[in-house]
Parts: sequence; C-alpha cells; structure tokens
Amino acid sequence: MDPTSRPAVVIDNGTGYTKMGFAGNVEPCFILPTVVAVNESFLNQSRSSSKANWLAQYNAGVMADLDFFIGDEAVTKSRSSSTYNLSYPIRHGQVDNWDAMERYWQQCIFNYLRCDPEDHYFLLTESPLTAPESREYTGEIMFETFNVPGLYIAVNSVLALAAGYTTSKCEMTGVVVDVGDGATYVVPVAEGYVIGSSIKSIPIAGKDVTLFIQQLMRERGENVPPEDSFEVARKVKEMYCYTCSDIVKEYNKHDKEPSKYLKQWRGIKPKTGAPYSCDIGYERFLGPEVFFNPEIYSSDFTTPLPAVIDKCIQSAPIDTRRALYKNIVLSGGSTMFKDFHRRLQRDLKKIVDARVLASDARLGGEVKAQPVEVNVVSHAIQRYAVWFGGSVLASTPEFFAACHTKAEYEEYGASICRSNPVFKGMY
Amino acid sequence: MLLLQSHSRFLLEALLNRVQNVDKATEVDYHWVEFDDVRYHVQVTMKNPHIVLLSVSLPVPPPETIFIGGLPFGAIEAIKAAYGNVVQILDPPRDGFNLTLKLNLSKLPPNEGSTKNKHALLVKIASVREVVLGAPLRVVLKHLASKTVASDIDQLLALVHRPKESFFLIPQAEKVTVVFPMRFNDSIDTVLATSFLQEFVEARRTAGLNNAPLCMWSSSPPLELKGVPSETLSANAGFVTFVIFPRHVEGKKLDRTVWNLSTFHAYVSYHVKCSEGFMHTRMRRRVESMIRVVLALSFGYFLKTLDRAKPDAEKLKKSTSNKSFKRLSLKDLKDHRSNSMS
Repeated sequence: MDPTSRPAVVIDNGTGYTKMGFAGNVEPCFILPTVVAVNESFLNQSRSSSKANWLAQYNAGVMADLDFFIGDEAVTKSRSSSTYNLSYPIRHGQVDNWDAMERYWQQCIFNYLRCDPEDHYFLLTESPLTAPESREYTGEIMFETFNVPGLYIAVNSVLALAAGYTTSKCEMTGVVVDVGDGATYVVPVAEGYVIGSSIKSIPIAGKDVTLFIQQLMRERGENVPPEDSFEVARKVKEMYCYTCSDIVKEYNKHDKEPSKYLKQWRGIKPKTGAPYSCDIGYERFLGPEVFFNPEIYSSDFTTPLPAVIDKCIQSAPIDTRRALYKNIVLSGGSTMFKDFHRRLQRDLKKIVDARVLASDARLGGEVKAQPVEVNVVSHAIQRYAVWFGGSVLASTPEFFAACHTKAEYEEYGASICRSNPVFKGMY
Repeated sequence: MLLLQSHSRFLLEALLNRVQNVDKATEVDYHWVEFDDVRYHVQVTMKNPHIVLLSVSLPVPPPETIFIGGLPFGAIEAIKAAYGNVVQILDPPRDGFNLTLKLNLSKLPPNEGSTKNKHALLVKIASVREVVLGAPLRVVLKHLASKTVASDIDQLLALVHRPKESFFLIPQAEKVTVVFPMRFNDSIDTVLATSFLQEFVEARRTAGLNNAPLCMWSSSPPLELKGVPSETLSANAGFVTFVIFPRHVEGKKLDRTVWNLSTFHAYVSYHVKCSEGFMHTRMRRRVESMIRVVLALSFGYFLKTLDRAKPDAEKLKKSTSNKSFKRLSLKDLKDHRSNSMS
C-alpha cells in the first residue's frame, strides 16, 4: 500500500521539548523532554575485552545499545539509579550529539508513536540557522537507518507562520518570534521564504528565565533544597509567571497587597522526604521581564526583545516591512506568559511611532506618513505552534510532492536534503 | 526496549486523560496509525463526555485468511470476554474501519477499593489490537492449553499479521506449529534480517533457554506448508518456525505468547532498524577517529612547513616581484637586459 495514503509523521525536536504526532491532528500525540538516559556501563569499552563485555552484558540481562530511555522516563530513571547518564541531544536549537539524536528518534518512532517508519512520510523541523550539513546528517539517519519513504525538513519559523493559517486567512509573510527553551530567534519570512540575512538571535531564552528565577529565590534565602531548586524554578516559571506593564507599579502592587500576589510553593525534599514550602513573590513578574529589560539579568546583552524585533524588520527589504510589522507571530513555550503579546505589541508600537514622528518632524509636516500597523498575534496553541503548522502542511496533498523520496536519495545521495522546496500549501 | 508493548501508548494516555477529566467536556478527535497498518480513531463529543468512540481498522487480509464480517474469527467473543459491559460493539462500524467500540466511561469499575483494577481494564482497552487480531491465535492456543484440539483438524490455518501477508498455524493435539514467511522491502534489511534470524535460532540453544519454544529457520518453505499456494510463500528472508507446547500457553503466559507471536514480524523489523542504528553509531565514531588522525597529521605537516617557511617566503617574494608589472625606466631596462644576457 502506498505510504502517501497514510498520515505523515510530524516530529518537532526542540531544545527543551519534542513534539510528535501524526499529520491531520490538532494536537501532538506526545510532548516529551528532549533527553536521553543511556546506560554507559557497558558501552565504550576497549575492544580487547569485547568478548568479556558481551558475556557481562548477557549475564546482566541487557543489551547495551538498547538499554536507554527518553523523555520523562529518562528523567525518572536517572534519578532513581546512578547507572544512567542524561544526555541532551540538542543544544541551542542545533543537534549536538547525533548518536543520542538517532536513539531519540528510534524510541519516538517505535516506542511512542509505535509506527513502522517504512509506512510514513516524515516531516522534521530545524532552526533557520542550521547548517546544511546537519540536514544531510538528518537525511542519512532517516533514509538509511529508518528507511523512510519520504522526508521533508522544514524551517520551524515557517511552520509557526503556517500555524496561523487556519485561525485567519493564510498569510505567509510575517515575523516569527520563537522563544524556546534553549534559543530565541526573530525570523522574518516573506511569502514563505526566510530572509536569512535579517535573522536576529538573542542569547536569552526560557532556560535563562528559569536560571534567573532560581537566582532570585536563592538570594532571598527561600527554603528550597539545592538539588531541587532548578526544577522548582522551572515549575514556578510555568505556573505563576506573568508579564507586567510596568515594573515599578508592579512592585507597589505587590507591596500593598502581598496576600493577593504572593504565592506559596509546596514540595517534598527528594532526599529526606520532608515537606517544605516557600514563598513566590517578585519573581512572578521579574522572570519574564528579562526579555524586556535584559540588564537585570546579564550585563553582556542589554538590548530588549522589542528593539531586536524592530532592528530585524528594519534590516529586511523595504517593501516587506509594513507586512512584517502587521503580522508578528509568537511561538515556543516561553511566549506563554500572560500578556506577553500585549507588552510586546505596546513596546514595539512605541518604538515605531517614535520613528514615524521623528521622520514627520524632519519633513516639516509636508508629507504625512501613513501610520504603521503593528500587530502581535497570539493564539492558544503557541506551545506547539510549530508542530501544528507542520501537521497542517503535511496533510495537504502538495506535501508529498515536495518531499525527498528514498529513490531520489539513492540516486543523488544525502546532498538532496540540503534544500527543501517551499510548496504550494505554504502560501 | 527489547519487546514491543501490547498496549498502544497513546491510546492509553488518551483514555487515562479522559477518565481523569470525565466532567470536563472537551472535543477529542484523533487519528493515528500503528505498525502493520492498524489504524485508530478516537472520538469524544462535547455532548457525551463519558462516551468514547474507538474505531480500529485492521490490515487488509490476504485471500487465504478467514474474516467474518470484517473481523478475524473469534474476535467478537474475545472483545466481549475481555471488556464486559463497558464496551459496546457498534454495527455497522464507522466508514473505513473494521470495528467501532463504544466505551462508556461511567460504567468503569468504581474507584473505591483499588484503582489498579480500573487501570488494568484501561490497559486492556488500549491493547484492543491484541484482543482483535490475536483472537484466532488465542482460540487455537487455548485449545492447546486445555488439550482439547480435535484430533482430526490438522489442517492449516492462515492468520493475517501484515497488510496482505499472513502467517500459518498447524494445530496438532500436542503442539502448535507456527510458521512465519519473512518479507522485507529493502535489500539491506533483508540481509540483516536473515542473519538476525539465524543468530536468533542459534541463541535458542543457550543453556538458559531450554524451555523456550523450539525455533527453526530455513530459506525454503518447510514441509508443513505443502498445501499452500506458492504465491503466498514468497519470502525473501526465509521462514521461521516456532513449535508451541502446552507449557508455553498455560495460565498467564497465554496473553504474552499470543502478543509476541502476532507481532513477530514487527519485532524483527524493529531490531533490524536498531542494529542499523547501532552500526551507524559505530561508523560515525570511526569517521570521527579518522578525522582526528587526519587533523593531527595535517597539523604536524603544517608545523613542519612553518619551519621551512622563511626561505620559501623569500623566494616567493623574488619571483613575484619579477612578474609584477612595473613601470620600467630605461636604466632598469638595461639592467634587466644585461641580467638576462648574463
């Protein structure tokens, strides 16, 4: 039976979480942390002892190359026993460890989605700054190890734009603000094509928010066990953080009505099992503030996110700028803070209006500029917007024609994976 | 992970999620496909949040297998026996599916006592594939366990396990012989699977596995399959034969035996993919170590050339200055000429 008659598999590997599922659905089947726990006690041993190694493995009842876990299972496994080492295959949006990545995909396909990779076309994602070599590697793994019949590697920001496709009309021009766990990119896209020269990236991402919250809580002397503090900070970030409109006002509000704004966190110490509790105060709004006033977190990078977006659009071709301002799309888990899009829109509007005013003053009021429309789009599926965009695109009939097939791979080699055509469903 | 689990992970998750939020009405509509072309569809509507419609489509059966009303024989009885009154079979099933089950979550065993019971039932529902596809195999093996095989039916049974592919059962009074024709699409897969299966048979001889089912591999169809039409016997990775004795199917072992036998092809294919992955890892490591050698060599060469670089550079300068265009004065020209003459 023809693989094109089955839904394509869409896997979006992010630095923090991997989203996977079948095309045509609204939600991914699984959202798992991108982490692999490998039992290395039998791997990497010298060749001379390979026979003894095999015997040892056999007696222990394991097969070293299959003895690993991914996702939440990996995290719990590494906690409960010391034989498993965690490795994170993706760092800052780029695949770092291909062995771990291949294992991760293997488990995704066989253990989680439980599908036969020979039966499905695959849609994978990559960040806009990924090197073509990495696409070749991906293609090699997918075609050689898993024998997939077809593969398409999409740019995640294009997919995030495509996610807006159903909620309004299809608009393939816009700026994608992708704030993930490990990387933040501002990517302008015109008619489905990424404007590569204008991509801006920021060294502040979700993980930095977590680290900042952890630091704040530690400095205040909250009673959190040190081995758990990062996890607690992450939970606090995900559950309680919000974006404020003005720091000073927010401080006042907190001071006036602590009972309304102060939250409690209760946990159990992992080692002793004793319960503990701690307060959550200013970090609720200071965490997300890192994007708008980075100087409170680091002294190396002090350009706020709205200014970076503005710079990015200003460096794009002039005929696309209005359209870009009009459609700024958020994607990634770290844009989920309450009112994040409002704050972004307000700050950006301020910058743009100031510029328009200045140019009006320079021209002396002879020519009136048309006001620039600034619009930050936010929707409910931001957390897996990239996956959703992939799911929408992979369910169009044009998708299968745009894929690289196994026959093509065998004819031309891995280099065909370097470029992936923009296809009709995208615009 | 060595063996495939019998429950669909996603189906179980969706059901658990549904059971926990029974009161919250949400729309659920998922389509997905498992290995061997088993398709699922789960639907929950806003109106009836405690009713889950689960549709399953099975691989297209080859002509030699027996299907009754789109299901393998014994499937309906197996469903009824496994799920009781929680599940109702809808007739006719949803368009494009072989079976539609209506789960009534309010009829699940109540939480008091033990939640384990409830969880076990949900896991059982999530392994609907095992129940339906494995039904005929289960019937045969059950007869074997209770030793009630009619002595006169030593005829061949064909059971579907992949789209348009089947495996064969030869039930006898004392044992059941199961034969799998192994087919793979890719030539590399075929080679790997063949050697995997030969090793598999070899591993059966290890001391610890004396009680495991007998296992044979041959490249040509075994004698038991004499009466079978030859077009169903084309296998490019040979034939695997298991001999199941009553001791392999007694009590709780029955379920696992049924599952492992009915997904044997998927198991082999999974391990072929794993070994390909492992080989890739090894190759990648080798390439890395070779690149390191090359880098070390070229760096050594670079250092050596640095040593000799000085005179070379001077020579280079001379030759380039000769070739470069320069406005020559008459005196230079003379010099040049006298140089070249001498």
